[in-house]
Amino acid sequence: MKECVLLALLALCSAKPLFRPSYVTLKNMMLKDMEDEVDGDPDDDNSLFPTREPINPFFPFDLFPTCPFGCQCYSRVVHCSDLGLSSVPSNIPFDTQMVDLQNNKIKEIKENDFKGLTSLYALILNNNKLTKIHPKAFLTTKKLRRLYLSHNQLSEIPFNLPKSLAELRIHDNKVKKIQKETFKGMTTLHVLEMSANPLDNNGIEPGAFEGVTVFHIRIAEAKLTSIPKDLPSTLLELHLDYNKISTVELEDFKRYKELQRLGLGNNRITDIENGSLANIPRVREIHLENNKLKKIPPGLQELKYLQIIFLHSNSITKVGVNDFCPTVPKMKKSLYSAISLSNNPVRYWEVQPAAFRCVVSRMSVQLGNFRK
Amino acid sequence: MKATIIFLLLAQVSWAGPFQQRGLFDFMLEDEASGIGPEEHAPVDSDLEPLGPVCPFRCQCHLRVVQCSDLGLEKVPKDLPPDTTLLDLQNNKITEIKDGDFKNLKNLHTLILVNNKINKISPGAFTPLLKLERLYLSKNLLKELPEKMPKTLQELRAHENEITKVRKAVFNGLNQMIVVELGTNPLKSSGIENGAFQGMKKLSYIRIADTNITTIPQGLPPSLTELHLEGNKITKVDSSSLKGLNNLAKLGLSFNSISAVDNGTLANTPHLRELHLDNNKLIKVPGGLAEHKYIQVRPHHEICEEYLGSECPYRDVRRQEGKLCLQIFFAERCF
Repeated sequence: MKECVLLALLALCSAKPLFRPSYVTLKNMMLKDMEDEVDGDPDDDNSLFPTREPINPFFPFDLFPTCPFGCQCYSRVVHCSDLGLSSVPSNIPFDTQMVDLQNNKIKEIKENDFKGLTSLYALILNNNKLTKIHPKAFLTTKKLRRLYLSHNQLSEIPFNLPKSLAELRIHDNKVKKIQKETFKGMTTLHVLEMSANPLDNNGIEPGAFEGVTVFHIRIAEAKLTSIPKDLPSTLLELHLDYNKISTVELEDFKRYKELQRLGLGNNRITDIENGSLANIPRVREIHLENNKLKKIPPGLQELKYLQIIFLHSNSITKVGVNDFCPTVPKMKKSLYSAISLSNNPVRYWEVQPAAFRCVVSRMSVQLGNFRK
Repeated sequence: MKATIIFLLLAQVSWAGPFQQRGLFDFMLEDEASGIGPEEHAPVDSDLEPLGPVCPFRCQCHLRVVQCSDLGLEKVPKDLPPDTTLLDLQNNKITEIKDGDFKNLKNLHTLILVNNKINKISPGAFTPLLKLERLYLSKNLLKELPEKMPKTLQELRAHENEITKVRKAVFNGLNQMIVVELGTNPLKSSGIENGAFQGMKKLSYIRIADTNITTIPQGLPPSLTELHLEGNKITKVDSSSLKGLNNLAKLGLSFNSISAVDNGTLANTPHLRELHLDNNKLIKVPGGLAEHKYIQVRPHHEICEEYLGSECPYRDVRRQEGKLCLQIFFAERCF
């Protein structure tokens, strides 16, 4: 139940009360408070600047719900994007569930920046100048599920991220390494997007994903030269487009038996070893466009659920009659809805129509012309 | 060319395939303690699975949230699931929003197009979005705000574009609008049509910071509670421009070139509670502070100096019985 509420929020809120209480409410509240006898509580000193002696205000300072100046606070969302902030504002309300700080100039997350935000669920820090995150910065944010750190200058994935994390986006940073301890204990990390980082295969320490459940990983635009073998075995989607992968070897997919979508477009793959695709029997969609394949990957005909295969812009010269479809028609559980073969040096008039006997319709196959 | 067209057609067909992402955020529906993980992979026995909503390749779709950020997309993906409520397309390379890009997205309430290269939005592009509440267009190349924005819109962000003109017509009838953020645009005062914001009956927050405007925009709606005009070239606070802003609680005018605040300004904003005037050219404290009921002031340091010789006025004021709300904060160097 609680989760539903969170969810509504997270969806950047379909919830109605976008803004703070209406003027009338606000004013009434204010007037009411003014009428009340208010005892000053010295611990409530919330002033912007240090004062010499404790203030005992006539009325509690947060007569209006506190909100950092220029930010908007509503429904426990604190929206502070595009304000040119150079540090995290200090007076974020404690019950905040989502903080949006994107597009500012924050260089550093300090130890106490998010201290006490125990309800924090989503934290958006995209597009800042972050180079440092204090290892204790997330000590008290035990409910944090979504952390967006994309477009910063981080050279490593911060240590001591909350174990509760479900989505981590750290696109376009300077991460070279995934250290063994990074994801330790994060049993529910479901989405990891870390493309556009200078990560190579040696940068992923063995065991870094041990015990971690991840369904969707994208490490595109990196420096991978082969398919990483130590990613979580729970993967449903693996996207490694725009890397420097040159071959797919027999053992590469051995761990990823659940895989349903595989993106390997825009690499340098010349060869896919016989039998390697048999390790991912549930796969439904494979993208291998813009590679250097000379032939149709072996084993496609055995992939019962494969519906989409992109092979355009390769160096494929020949399409055999059994390259896509099994010889026993019943073997195929779902028909192809898309096969792309354009921009390959195939003499397509030589391809037998029967090669595509297991597709949804003629429109599903795209051969096209090869242009040098 | 022909090949591309065919391919595009094909791509569309391909999205129509029955693949459906599962399990990505199931945890959000579950109780904390209950099982977290992908749904059962139901074995498929039929030859043809039923067609269902699909997720564009590389995007993540879950619980009607379609997340397609950071993918290098040059256009809005085709065939988005029609029940999508939030579409995140930030950090791509989209140059144009066309009519039909969002067709069928009747349930969309949030559209995030931040950090693309959008320089053109077709006038009919947002028409199908009957429930859109939030439209984030920041960090693009727009020269004007889009026409025909949905009447349901509550929040519009167009920070860091190339907007030079704000016409009254684009906001007309947007009666649900609460937040408008237009900071960091090459706007001049003459580019903002008089009363441009007046048509928005619920407007509560305006931010036009870091532009070239030299005056406070005229004809602001009385519903306004926050006005942020930091980092502009405003030289004077004209009391008439704030007239009728009975609800204004926060006014940010830091980093301008203000040398005078009209007497009566504060009387026109009776519920002002926070006024930022630091980093300006003021030589005296704005008139009417002492009479003002709610204000908390952060004057810039030259003003503070005026107080330095005497006792701290804020203590004085607080000693007065029956007078509650005046608190003045000093910049640190005042003490």
